[in-house]
Formats: sequence, C-alpha cells, structure tokens
Amino acid sequence: MSTEVAQTPSAPAPPRAAPTKPAKDFDRPRFLKVYLWLFFAVLFVPIVLVILFSFNSSRSLQNFEGFSLRWYETFFESESLRDSLIASIEIALVTMVIATVLGTLLAYGLVRTRTRWSNAANILMLIPLVTPEIVAGASALLLFTQIGLELSITTIILAHITFSISYVTVVVRARLAALGREVEAAAMDLGATRWQTFRLVTLPALWPAVLAAGLLVFALSFDDFVLSFFTTGESPQPLPVRIWTQIRFGVRPTINAIGTFMLVISVLSIGLALLLPRLFGRKESGLKVLLGREGT
Amino acid sequence: MSENGAGSAIRFEGVTKRFGEAVAVDDLNLEIERGEFFSLLGPSGCGKTTTLRMVGGFEQPSQGRIFLEGEPVETVPPYERNVNTVFQSYALFEHLSIEDNVAFGLKRRKVEKDEIRRRVAEALELVELHERGDARPRELSGGQKQRVALARALVNRPSVLLLDEPLGALDLQLRKQMQVELKGIQREVGITFLYVTHDQEEALAMSDRIAVMDAGVIKQCGTPEDIYEHPVGPFVAGFIGVSNLLPGVCENGSIRLAEGILCDAQVPDDCAAGSDVQLSVRPEKIAIDDEIESGMVTVEGTVVERVYVGTSTQIIVELAPGMRLMALEQNWVRARSDDRWEIGNRVKLGWRPEHALVLR
Repeated sequence: MSTEVAQTPSAPAPPRAAPTKPAKDFDRPRFLKVYLWLFFAVLFVPIVLVILFSFNSSRSLQNFEGFSLRWYETFFESESLRDSLIASIEIALVTMVIATVLGTLLAYGLVRTRTRWSNAANILMLIPLVTPEIVAGASALLLFTQIGLELSITTIILAHITFSISYVTVVVRARLAALGREVEAAAMDLGATRWQTFRLVTLPALWPAVLAAGLLVFALSFDDFVLSFFTTGESPQPLPVRIWTQIRFGVRPTINAIGTFMLVISVLSIGLALLLPRLFGRKESGLKVLLGREGT
Repeated sequence: MSENGAGSAIRFEGVTKRFGEAVAVDDLNLEIERGEFFSLLGPSGCGKTTTLRMVGGFEQPSQGRIFLEGEPVETVPPYERNVNTVFQSYALFEHLSIEDNVAFGLKRRKVEKDEIRRRVAEALELVELHERGDARPRELSGGQKQRVALARALVNRPSVLLLDEPLGALDLQLRKQMQVELKGIQREVGITFLYVTHDQEEALAMSDRIAVMDAGVIKQCGTPEDIYEHPVGPFVAGFIGVSNLLPGVCENGSIRLAEGILCDAQVPDDCAAGSDVQLSVRPEKIAIDDEIESGMVTVEGTVVERVYVGTSTQIIVELAPGMRLMALEQNWVRARSDDRWEIGNRVKLGWRPEHALVLR
C-alpha cells in the first residue's frame, strides 16, 4: 500500500475496497454498546417479568393469559399482608426521621470538630456500610435478647436506625464539607448568633442533602430483609420477611403483586430523593448530592 | 493618636497568637487610624490573616489586647463586634437572593423594614448591582459576587471593614479594575479598611499605609512611597517590587562589593566599617551607557539576558560571576532596545548615590 502511494505522491489516494469508518468511532467500539444493552437486559428483564406476571389472570408463572388485578386484590384483602405492609411503612418512616436527625448531627460534629481522632472517627463511620448484614443482624439479635428486649417492630427500627445513620452522615458530611466554614463565619460576622447561624444559613444549605439522605434511608429500610429477619417479632412481620415466610409454602402469583408494589414505593422514594434538590431551586441534581459531588 | 483627635480605629497592644508550638503573630503593636485604608502585606503564612481574624473575633489572641475604637474586644464574640468582613471565598448565602444576602446583617439587628429596604438599595447602588437584587448568587460572575460581599458588609456601616484577600480569585484585568473601585468606595463611605493581601502591587495601589509582615512580625509600616523608596531591610526591599540586592562590605562612606568594585552610597552613621551589608538598587533607577549623568555611581558588566515585557525591556547585566543587576529600558522608542545591548555586549550602568540603599 505504501509503495503505491510513494509512486504517485500528488495523486489522490486510491479508493479503498471497504468504506472508511468515521474517525470518531475508533474510540467507541460497537461491542461496548451491545454489552451495555445486554447488561441492562439481564438487569431489568426479570423485574419486567415480575411486573408483567403480577397482572396475569391465571396462576401460571410461565404463560401470560390475560390482564387482571386479582393478585393485587388478594394482596390487599389478606389481613396479615396488609398488616405487614403497614408495619414496613411504619418502620421505614420512623427509621427515616430518627436516622436523619441523628446522622445530620453526627455529620455536623465530625466536620466541625477537628481533633486527632477525627480521621479515625471518619473511617469508623464507614464500617456499618461494609459490615455484612448477617453480622449486624446476628449481633443485634444477641444484644436485644441479652438485655431482655422483646423482639417487635421497635427492635427492627432500632436495628435499622443503627445502619442508616452512616448513610445519612456520609451524604450530609459531604455537603457540609463543600459548604466551607467561611459561610458560617460570614453569618456570625453579620450578627447571627451560633443558633441563628445554624438555623438561617447551615440548615438551609443542608436541606437538599438531608432530604435526599432521608428518602434513601426510607428506601433502604423499606425493603431490608436480613436485619429485619433477625430482629423481627412474631407479628406483624415487615413485608420482606412476610414474603419469605410465604414462599416457604410455595410460590404464588401474589408475590409478583407485592414485589411490584414494593418496587413502586422504592422507586418513588429514590426518585423523590433525586428530584427534591431541584424543587428547592438547586442546580445540582440529587444524584450529585447523594454522591457528595455537589458543586463540582 | 490620629491628627483629628478622633482616636484610633484599631489598636493592637503586644498581641501574640500561638497555634500549639507555632507562633503565628508575635508581639504585634499597631495603631490604625479612623478612615484609613490600611494593608497588611506579606507572603502566605506571615500571620496577616490571623491578625485579621483576631479583629473579626474568629481567633482569640494568646496574649495582648485588641481595642476597637478604644474598647477592648478580646471577650466580645464575632456577632457582637462592630466590624464586618469580606471573605476571600465571598461566602455568600446561596439560598438567599442578593437583596436578602445584603439585608442579612440589618435583619439580625432588628432594623426597621423600611430602613432595611432603603439601605439595601443604597448599598447595591454603591456597587452597581441594583438591577440584580432578585438574582441568586450562583447567577452572578466572580466580580459581581465580590461586589455583593462588599455591599453585604458595608451596609451595616461597621467601624472597620476587614478584607481578606478579596480580589484573590479574580483574573488580572478584573482585579485591576476592582482595585480602583474599592479605593473609590472606601473614599466615598469613609470607613476604615483593614486589607490583607500578598500582592504588593495591590497594596501599593490602594493603601494609605502598609504594614509588611514576615513570620508574625511587622518588618516595616509606612506609606506606599516610604516602603517602596526606603525599605528598611532586605526582606522588605525584596518583597516590594523588584530589587537588585548586591552583597558588600561597609567602608567609610562607600560600599565595597565583591570583586573589589567600590560604590558610593548613603551609608548609615551606625554602620561600622567592615560590616556586611546589602546594596539595593531599583531597576528603574539604573541608567545605561549614554543615559548616565555626571555624579552617578558607575559599574561595568556584560549583558547576559534581555527580556521584552511590553512596556519595557529588562536588561540583565553580570558585573562579576554570580553578581547580576537588572536594569529597565522603557520602550517608548521601540527600536532602541532592539539594536543595542545584544547579549554579550559590555555596558556601563549608573545610578545616583542616594538611590542605592544600604540594607543590613
């Protein structure tokens, strides 16, 4: 090829047999696109199937035979399932409120007090995020039975709060660190007391992060199984535990309806977490707030 | 005390600030007069920001006393001090509009609503942002944010305005423009400005007086002319403007530089013969070849470098190995510096004896 070009240096390059691809394609191999869609398919097809079969009119989990809402009716007509749903929502709501308040205070303390233990404290903070839930669940169960606390919704909430605080702290701490100290100094410089500074400057700046973290905690708590399983009492059991109990006696299509319903609640709370900062007039998306990348 | 007898705006009496072992500010004694534009100038870590923060109330002195308009303030928290700060990062409240940012201080003092509105409008007018009152800080440019920070502080009519490198984040053009504006605003409102900067040009351009700080100590305090023309030591001479510092030895009435070059200079009376000194000559005071007038001290050397910088050309001349002087050639006739003083040429340099400072 090179010899041919050398012989006719001024002539236009001879047409190639195959049409040349645009140059920009060489750093975007097509197989990556295929791979991406394959990944999404593996990820979402089972979920889509669950949603589809939740509307199936027959008991079959293989053939879709027509649209019906009968499994949703069974779900809501079953008193024990309804109790479980209410229990799950109650657990998630209480966990959200308490974990958000405690986690925010903890974040404030971690960012605003600097001692030689700060680094250690910051790392310790992350441990609940990586502890296997089995360990957390087993140790919570051990603790509750040792101190003679009867297993109930309260014990589930206590266990959920414990692991949720870390999520809140991590999210809020990132926002606080990005806020910088000068903004608070400026408020005090302008005559605001410490409390006024927190209420009028720090808290408004933190709101999006606090809300996003709270909704994240709601979603995590709502569909948590392992911790709930270890710490639940006899009745009412939270929905995920309840489903597991039911599956032991055979898979029924009601599962699909419950699953779809839980999915909707989780997606809604996460979606809200992503949207809320925008509703508060922040440019940054909730995703950035959650990942602590606000302002970058 | 000041000339009009009104007393000083800020007075430091033996103020020392330690952070653990490190001494950030060392036995500072300083008096800043009312209505003065006073700059603390020095390299980073010299203690200038710590000094400012002590006035603002964000740091407590380890020792010594600070008086604001005659009143001691060590025990007064920041929110009760009659000073306001313009922070380097502006520190605007992102969730509030520009108007609410500016009104923040007045609201905390429970000023009447009508008066707040009037004073906020006035302050925004002063910084030429009266049309952006409803905007959020993030919608403004860096220079505009800077002005909001200024208006937010000035609207409270503090007895002293503290400015912590307020122009540091702006680009060069804007910085030059803001320097002129800041000085104009200060003259208009008549409030004492305590200005912290590491930029000597900025300090020279705006200040009534400058204190040059290094390692927690004030090396020299005076008017910009004082500090530029009569630096008291090698640090100030080197930090303010470009200085040629040549090591030498004192000999009755003149300085003997290395390699035996003898220079006339105004040797201070208390400078004993034989003591080591440094001779400082500003580049713009050095005449080259035929510009040399009678009565000037002259030396000879070889041109080793020529740097064209637009308005002038820097000509670096080596008198002896390791002994270099920089002279400036104004480019008002462009061709001149082109043809003359090629690298390697021998040239004569000269300066008036009174322009050569003997520093110890």
